[in-house]
Amino acid sequence: MEIISDMLVVIMQKGGSIKPTHLMYKANLSHKQMKGYLDELEKKNLIIKNNNEEKSKESAIKITENGRTFLFKYSEMKQFEKTFGL
Amino acid sequence: MVRIVLTPDWFLGFDVLIELFSFVVLAIFSVLSIRNYRLNKNKKNFLYIGIGFGLIALAQLATILTKTVLYYDFSVIRQVGNAIVTSNFVSSVDIFYHIGFFFYRFLTLAGFYMIYRLHNKRTYLGESLLFGYFILLSALLSTDMYYLFHLTCLGILMLIIRNYYVIYKKNRFLNTKILLIVFGILALGQILFIFPNGALQATANIVELISYGLLLFLAVKIRENDTKKKSNGDNIRHAGGNHAKRRKH
Repeated sequence: MEIISDMLVVIMQKGGSIKPTHLMYKANLSHKQMKGYLDELEKKNLIIKNNNEEKSKESAIKITENGRTFLFKYSEMKQFEKTFGL
Repeated sequence: MVRIVLTPDWFLGFDVLIELFSFVVLAIFSVLSIRNYRLNKNKKNFLYIGIGFGLIALAQLATILTKTVLYYDFSVIRQVGNAIVTSNFVSSVDIFYHIGFFFYRFLTLAGFYMIYRLHNKRTYLGESLLFGYFILLSALLSTDMYYLFHLTCLGILMLIIRNYYVIYKKNRFLNTKILLIVFGILALGQILFIFPNGALQATANIVELISYGLLLFLAVKIRENDTKKKSNGDNIRHAGGNHAKRRKH
């Protein structure tokens, strides 16, 4: 859950869209690990992969509204957890 | 005539408003906590906190309903009371007084105990049952000795304060400090409630209002989105204070 949150935070910090290689570096994941997580995030409708081959060699990863909501709730949960020392 | 509540006449009604406010704040905290549990079901403590605050919220609701019946004339409820016990008006008031305030006391103590228990990882069933027995006994006996409830409440609150003081010493987190102050003010309120003096009872109510106001402030603070603060560097692992090592899975 923490890794998923970290990945979404990185995308958010890049204005809601990021290239996979940037995400891989910033989230400190291997290519294989990142692919697995991205598939999971896409399945849960937290991100979408924008496959625009003509404009760029790499597809952009975009955070969805669901992803933003998840990130907000996760952040709230972490605050709550820390407050109560859980 | 025997006084059913110790609140001074000039404060009647205000106390119900304060309890209504407390109910709303406690319900917000309960919902927040249960929502966190739904997000991460591995953390049962979220659920326990939610139940703890929920029980205290229900306790506030019980006292609001009881006092509303006592302060204002609700003929329908009075008739129900008359039918159950006797045609005497005083007896019908007694029913609401005993049942309503019993639930208030029992649920409050149970809620605070739940919050205290969270940080005691090694709690045995026998210990919990014993605590439950004393809570029940305290709630029952407080009908005649009202101060017993406030003393028991104060005792549990002191244990909660001790727990959060230990946590605050470790994490030095502002929110934990606020929580510590909230419980501290609540404990002060319980001390004031012990004395059978009208002015002190009203002061205790105001002290309680301050503590729940602070709890509401904490709820708002927790809801603030801090995702932007999480990372400023190139690598999120550095920003989190951890070493940049490849994640293992």
